[in-house]
Amino acid sequence: MKEQLIKLEQEVLQELEKASRKELNELRVKVFGKNGLITNLSKGMRDVPSENRKEIGQLINQTRSLLEEAFAKKEQEIENAELEKSLESEKIDITEPSKDIKIGALHPTSDIIDKLTDICVDMGFSVVEGPEIETDYYNFEAMNIPKNHPSRDMQDTFFITDEILLRSQTSAVQAREMEVRKPPFKIVCPGKTYRNDSDATHSPVFHQLEGLVVDENISMADLKAMLSTLMKRLYGEDTYIRFRPSFFPFTEPSIEVDLSCPTCHGKGCNICKGTGMLELLGAGVVNPKVLEMSGIDSKKYRGFAFGFGLDRAGMLLNGISNIRSLFKNDIRFLQQMKGEKK
Amino acid sequence: MKITYNWLKDFVNITATPEQIAQKLTASGFEVEEIVYQNKYLHDVVVGKILKIEKHPQADRLVVCQVDIGEKIVQILTAATNVFEGAVIPVSLPGASLINGVNISPTKMRGVESYGMFCSGEELGIDENYFEGAGVNGILILPSDMKVGEPIEKALMLDDVVFDVGVTPNRADCLSVIGLAREVCALFGLEMKKLNLSYDIDVYAKDTVRDYVNVEVQTPNCQRYMACAVTDVKVERSPLWMRARLNAVGIKPINTMVDITNYVLIEIGQPMHAFDQENIKGNKIIVRQAKIGEKIDALNHNSYNLDESIMVIANENEPMVIAGVIGGTDCSINDNTKISILESAVFDVKNIRTTSRKIGVNTDSSARYAKGVNIANAKLGMERALHLVSKLKCGKVVRGSIDIAQEKNDYRDIVVSVKLINDILGVEIPTKDMLRILNDLGIETKLYGDKMQCRIPPYRIDLENDYDIAEEVIRLYGYDVYDKIDYTLFENSKVTEGHHHPRLAMERKFRNALVEHGFYENISYTLVNPSFVQKLRLEDIRQNVIRIANPITEDISVMRTSLAHSMLSNIESNLRVGNKEIRIFECGRVYLTDELPLKQLPTEKNMIALAVYESGFDFYHLKGIVEDLLLKTGLDYHIIRSSEPFLHPGVSADIMDGNTKVGSFGKIHPQVAKNYDLPKDIYYAELDDDYLLKYSEKKITMKSISKYPIVERDLAVVVDSQITNEDLMKSIKSACGNLYYDAKLFDVYRSDAIGENKKSMAYNIKLSDMNKTLTDEEVSKVINKVLKTLSYKFGATLR
Repeated sequence: MKEQLIKLEQEVLQELEKASRKELNELRVKVFGKNGLITNLSKGMRDVPSENRKEIGQLINQTRSLLEEAFAKKEQEIENAELEKSLESEKIDITEPSKDIKIGALHPTSDIIDKLTDICVDMGFSVVEGPEIETDYYNFEAMNIPKNHPSRDMQDTFFITDEILLRSQTSAVQAREMEVRKPPFKIVCPGKTYRNDSDATHSPVFHQLEGLVVDENISMADLKAMLSTLMKRLYGEDTYIRFRPSFFPFTEPSIEVDLSCPTCHGKGCNICKGTGMLELLGAGVVNPKVLEMSGIDSKKYRGFAFGFGLDRAGMLLNGISNIRSLFKNDIRFLQQMKGEKK
Repeated sequence: MKITYNWLKDFVNITATPEQIAQKLTASGFEVEEIVYQNKYLHDVVVGKILKIEKHPQADRLVVCQVDIGEKIVQILTAATNVFEGAVIPVSLPGASLINGVNISPTKMRGVESYGMFCSGEELGIDENYFEGAGVNGILILPSDMKVGEPIEKALMLDDVVFDVGVTPNRADCLSVIGLAREVCALFGLEMKKLNLSYDIDVYAKDTVRDYVNVEVQTPNCQRYMACAVTDVKVERSPLWMRARLNAVGIKPINTMVDITNYVLIEIGQPMHAFDQENIKGNKIIVRQAKIGEKIDALNHNSYNLDESIMVIANENEPMVIAGVIGGTDCSINDNTKISILESAVFDVKNIRTTSRKIGVNTDSSARYAKGVNIANAKLGMERALHLVSKLKCGKVVRGSIDIAQEKNDYRDIVVSVKLINDILGVEIPTKDMLRILNDLGIETKLYGDKMQCRIPPYRIDLENDYDIAEEVIRLYGYDVYDKIDYTLFENSKVTEGHHHPRLAMERKFRNALVEHGFYENISYTLVNPSFVQKLRLEDIRQNVIRIANPITEDISVMRTSLAHSMLSNIESNLRVGNKEIRIFECGRVYLTDELPLKQLPTEKNMIALAVYESGFDFYHLKGIVEDLLLKTGLDYHIIRSSEPFLHPGVSADIMDGNTKVGSFGKIHPQVAKNYDLPKDIYYAELDDDYLLKYSEKKITMKSISKYPIVERDLAVVVDSQITNEDLMKSIKSACGNLYYDAKLFDVYRSDAIGENKKSMAYNIKLSDMNKTLTDEEVSKVINKVLKTLSYKFGATLR
């Protein structure tokens, strides 16, 4: 009986070894079925002498569980192989294009407005807006540029009537805000500005960001620290700025601010014409006359103001060479804002 | 402003190189835009003398010359016909590289060697006005007394260096050599040389200026008028040194008297005029406003009709000069002038600006007056001019001068605070440096504790207060001081809380949502061609377009009143370059007004617009995008059929908040599509961003949901064509009562079998109960009720 069991074990295990799923099922019936080998052995127990019955019974049970285990194992193996096969057959070309996902992109100029205003809000500035069609008073006179003043020549203005014009600078919001706000305050104003000028670096419609801070102890050093922080956050930590004297009627002292070239980091390249620096913005300490005109006590308060071309700032950030391409709205151009590699 | 290195040296003993000067000027606020070496193309060109001319053995048109070039005699071939033995000529030798790009090297022509080339005036970059003979078609024949072998740049005085300096509008005093020389002195800590203002007067002569002219100033626009007389005038070519200076700064030399006035203009910044006394009818100069109907023939060969806004210098009968702007032909110096009256005047900035603009004439003179000429300058200019008359010996200066001045301009004292200056600058400038800088700028200072008294020279009208002085100090101290400081942001100021602009914040939500829907953001010119009104068939307030008075072109001459124009134009331009599948949007303003011309500022409305051209895209896709945008707001809206003239009347909707229109969307009207040269299936939507701001805050209240499952049933009914989804949905919802969870139209079907003007509408209805799982029976009961309601209300039948 014992030998019979061992033989059975070996034969079944051998068959099992090379069985397909179908053969496995057949073999399972052959071994464990109603007339299966094991079943029959159990049936044959009644012929076994009673003193051996316990021992033989245990042996049969051992064989049964050994074979059951082997069947389960084999079944798992077959399943694994089948899964493997079907995974292989389902393999696709992962380099085919993606489907149905359409993502657009922001315009480079509005992207930079978002970035700059976010940084400015962090620094305690509030974002404001102002009219693009503006009075001569706010655009010029309140900025210490009286009618017929020579510095009006610095800007070619689009006029609508003698008193109404398209703002030539976002500085026009300065007086509007100073009239309604009480110091201390910090504001920035992004928006469209207009000048009668059109070439590769000038667009008749363009964007500026105006900044104005009024408080008791404001100085040129604050201006330097603020613009430095702004530029570092926009163009990277290794960015630096430099001041150069200039003239604006609404600031005194007035400066031009040069930025280390974001392309070559100040080493000199064709974007900065080898100088390592780029002219970026005009700024200065608010002329006390401008504060007074808007009803702010210039004995008590000082301010600084800055204004710069956003289109140009965005062009520097994104390596755009012609300002007019910003207003053509060609999708081939705008798509590049997604930063996809082609 | 152009000045030269040598001219500067008349005023300053400076040894710094032109580049060093330029660097310092730029760093102090006078940007040197260009440095031009006049001799750049004149090296290896010398004065030579032709000793002998022989025929070329092989060429009829060439001659062989033996030329003395000082150190040796060389052989040069030429085809020029105006040369002769003994002629003194400019010779370019091997190594020379002329302005026209010709490089000289020894050469052979038909077997004969040539060691250089003779030059014409043009090849040296000069013309007849500069040097006699320079304009002839041939070789420049030089005066025979010129030194043979001398470099031509020396012989022709073309050895100067020209600076082109940007002068900001506050520094009109630096539109002159003397003004910039003062700056250079301050920058290098040098003393100004004294200007020679002496001139000879015949002490025995009895005549005085009033024997030749009288002046009457009748207009407040003339702040100072000086006149002097010069007799025995010699109108001839000025000496080379004077022509050289004028030529270097771009002024055409004309004759002695005119050159002197131009020289003073550049040197002192004082515009002057030289009259032919004979043409001053009645010996009377009257400074007045012109009368309507008066005319003047000006030196630029144009004739101008004058009016009362224009100031003129007139004689007894008629205007001779448009004051400060341009002279008339009749009164100017001519070859026969014997007596000249010199004018040195100061005119009102605004009046000259207005006139210059009005008649469209901008001269060196008007440019200076329009920026402000200091009243003290007139005298300096006049004296310098008389000195030059004496120096050039081109006339006798008559005793006396006429000087009519409204006011005197003198030194002014202002008191500033040293502490305030340092506070403004945010850096500590040592007081001794402050004093030194101001002293270098010609500002005398006295210190009383913190107070500093500054004596401002008359030419610095721009200096009024502490801020102005702070700028002078830092400008010369050097802005690089800020490169070194370590300063904490807003160290001494109060903390302020920053806020995003609420509308811009809302707009940003829209922009980001649209980007995720596949849209590219556009920014278009807000200035457009006025034809858009017709192209969009606009009829309401949007046809009142605001026009620019001075547009660049008609294409950008009016402010847009609709974003539809920008969007459609951008689709068109994208299609034209081969882009397909276009989804674009723009956030921007439209400019609306009730009245034209504008009396007050118009309404600037912020709008958001989007447009799509894409195969398979239809009204309902568009609707989904619009719904998504509106979901970002708290607006509870409904839609009605749109009345937008540029939208297809059957395939468009207006978004309403009660009775207020918040936006529109739909297919573009076929006529409008045609007007823009576009295919028909363009979809467009716009929202009133400003209006939506009211609803930018969205409040969300969440309700509890049932723990029992949802049960679904599909129901298809046949109804008349004009019945809308909205009609049916309302009824379905109310018929379901409490058990309603959701319902959605999933199919619309029309066929002959269903019948003409009929359609089948299939709904998926979802029911749910808060307290139990619904049984089949309960569900059927509800669906039957729905069917009954639809049949009763709309004659719907089960399909």
